[in-house]
Amino acid sequence: MQKPLLEIRSLSTHFFTEEGVIRAVEDVNFEIYPGEILSLVGESGCGKSVTGLSILRLIASPPGKIVSGQILFDGRNLLDLEEREMEKVRGNDISMIFQEPMTSLNPVFTIGDQIMEAVLLHQKVDKGTARKKAIEMLDRVRIPSPETTIDAYPHQLSGGMRQRAMIAMALSCQPKLLIADEPTTALDVTIQAQVLHLLREIQRDMDMAVMLITHDLGVVTEIADRVAVMYAGRIMEYSPIQTLFQQVRNPYTKGLLDSIPSLEEKPRRLNVIPGQVPNPIDLPEGCTFHPRCYLSIEECKKKEPPLFQVNENHFSRCIRWKECC
Amino acid sequence: MAETHSLLQVIDLKKYYYKQRLFSSEKKPIRAVDGVSLAIRKGETLGLVGESGCGKTTIGKSVLRLIEPTSGQILFADQDILQLNRASLRKLRPRMQFIFQDPYESLNPRMKVGEIVGEGLEVHHIVRGKEKNQRVSDILGKVGLHPQDADRYPHEFSGGQRQRIGIARAISLHPDLIVADEPVSALDVSIQAQILNLLMDLRDQFGLTYLFISHDLRIVKHISDRIAVMYMGKIVEMADGEELFRRPLHPYTRLLLAAIPKLNLQKRIDPAAVREESRLLSSEQGCSFQPRCPHFKERCKVEEPQLLDAGGDHRVACHFAL
Repeated sequence: MQKPLLEIRSLSTHFFTEEGVIRAVEDVNFEIYPGEILSLVGESGCGKSVTGLSILRLIASPPGKIVSGQILFDGRNLLDLEEREMEKVRGNDISMIFQEPMTSLNPVFTIGDQIMEAVLLHQKVDKGTARKKAIEMLDRVRIPSPETTIDAYPHQLSGGMRQRAMIAMALSCQPKLLIADEPTTALDVTIQAQVLHLLREIQRDMDMAVMLITHDLGVVTEIADRVAVMYAGRIMEYSPIQTLFQQVRNPYTKGLLDSIPSLEEKPRRLNVIPGQVPNPIDLPEGCTFHPRCYLSIEECKKKEPPLFQVNENHFSRCIRWKECC
Repeated sequence: MAETHSLLQVIDLKKYYYKQRLFSSEKKPIRAVDGVSLAIRKGETLGLVGESGCGKTTIGKSVLRLIEPTSGQILFADQDILQLNRASLRKLRPRMQFIFQDPYESLNPRMKVGEIVGEGLEVHHIVRGKEKNQRVSDILGKVGLHPQDADRYPHEFSGGQRQRIGIARAISLHPDLIVADEPVSALDVSIQAQILNLLMDLRDQFGLTYLFISHDLRIVKHISDRIAVMYMGKIVEMADGEELFRRPLHPYTRLLLAAIPKLNLQKRIDPAAVREESRLLSSEQGCSFQPRCPHFKERCKVEEPQLLDAGGDHRVACHFAL
């Protein structure tokens, strides 16, 4: 049995605001193995982005704080590191790409400068070598004419190209883990398909693990190996991708799957999840999903359920998982 | 193309934006909408689908004359709204309404929900006072909100609820036509489904005609009777929803369909299907899809394809497809 590259144990990240405490991530556990793609999927406010930022310790503090848990990367607990040591991890062992490439790329530097920055910071090479590496990376992410595009500014590139440039930046030091936060949400569907496939191809080549954060189940289906479905700061279901379709065992996951119109079926009224995501300051007692759940019973309101083991690799946070779905 | 029962007819609509270019005396226009014609029958839903920059929002706004087109005709109930003066246009407005994409920007934050939903009723002198409040309550109920919500402000509601407020506003005047511009794109998946169901229910209840604009082909297909696919300011294919899916003719439509992630592991996207050809030169003449088209021929460089009948009320603009 392979050792995990990243182990998240009982991670809780809270935000302390005037109105109250937002338990954005609450007692979250999962692992990522070398070379695999794990997707954290959920709707807005579920805590998936905060989880990604917590791993790289990029949570603004105040008002945020990682209140408990361990983030074990290659055996080391990242939460024990000094900031200087953490800087050696970011962009080097663990990299991150973000949703809006225009706001995540520095508009006053060329993309070449931004790619070279990480290389020069983490590797002992001269500028000439760094520039060569940058051109190689741009070519790798299939940006046309990399020798000239390297000197372009972000605003001169299209959305898809900017996202590729950001991927080039993130991969320039061959990280072991890439955290991709909604990498294709801002892109047109045809460009999205290309970027997803590029990501899959490169990660296979580099044997790199990816934590893919998204709200789009379609994107998950395209490239993920395993999935963790999140809701209101908690993991509701955790399984390999095939299992999610063949044997979904959580009513929230089922609801999400049913909400998506299919191209192949005839139009019908969609089975919707009634109500809306709860206010994070004022979460329901018991299971956070029970007010919207078609399987909910009295017991669901009393105590928050643990993650039940459905089988070897499949877990569900629902006391009625056997009857689901 | 004479449609005697069309509620809305758009004829050769053009909207060009002229930009002054630095260090250049030539003024090349941006052809946001470049000769679009379409018709919608009463009670029908026409879906307009395309990626960013294709011109679909510009058409949506032009149809209600929220943007002044460069040329063309827009016939609503047989009247060319582009020829009407302000007063006459104003009289028509209750019959044609708009639902906006961004639920956070499309509601006046300083107005209470009741005021927002009732504004049209006031302004067009339809009902006032107690009767107006009653109507507002009814409409709020119809979109799944509570009468008490009339006294609250938009910021007190979630994105999905705000979108319901926008929809309430749009139906308050019992319009014939609603242009919905990406009405669910800014919402979470589970809320999207709720709002789509709501739009479909209201359509049945009120006999509405929709021009439904979206970049998401799955959603468009779900709610539309017919679909028009747009690319760079032009309609490249138009057909009944099921027909378009079963028999996509234009290479761009095929590309769109291939690129949509399906919730099915057996149907993962074939990377070859979405790989972009790219010819660096895109000529001024000919088909605008050339640089991305796998079936490109010499003819495509010189002759712009027209939207022609491919049988079964299915039209396509492509030399290869016909």
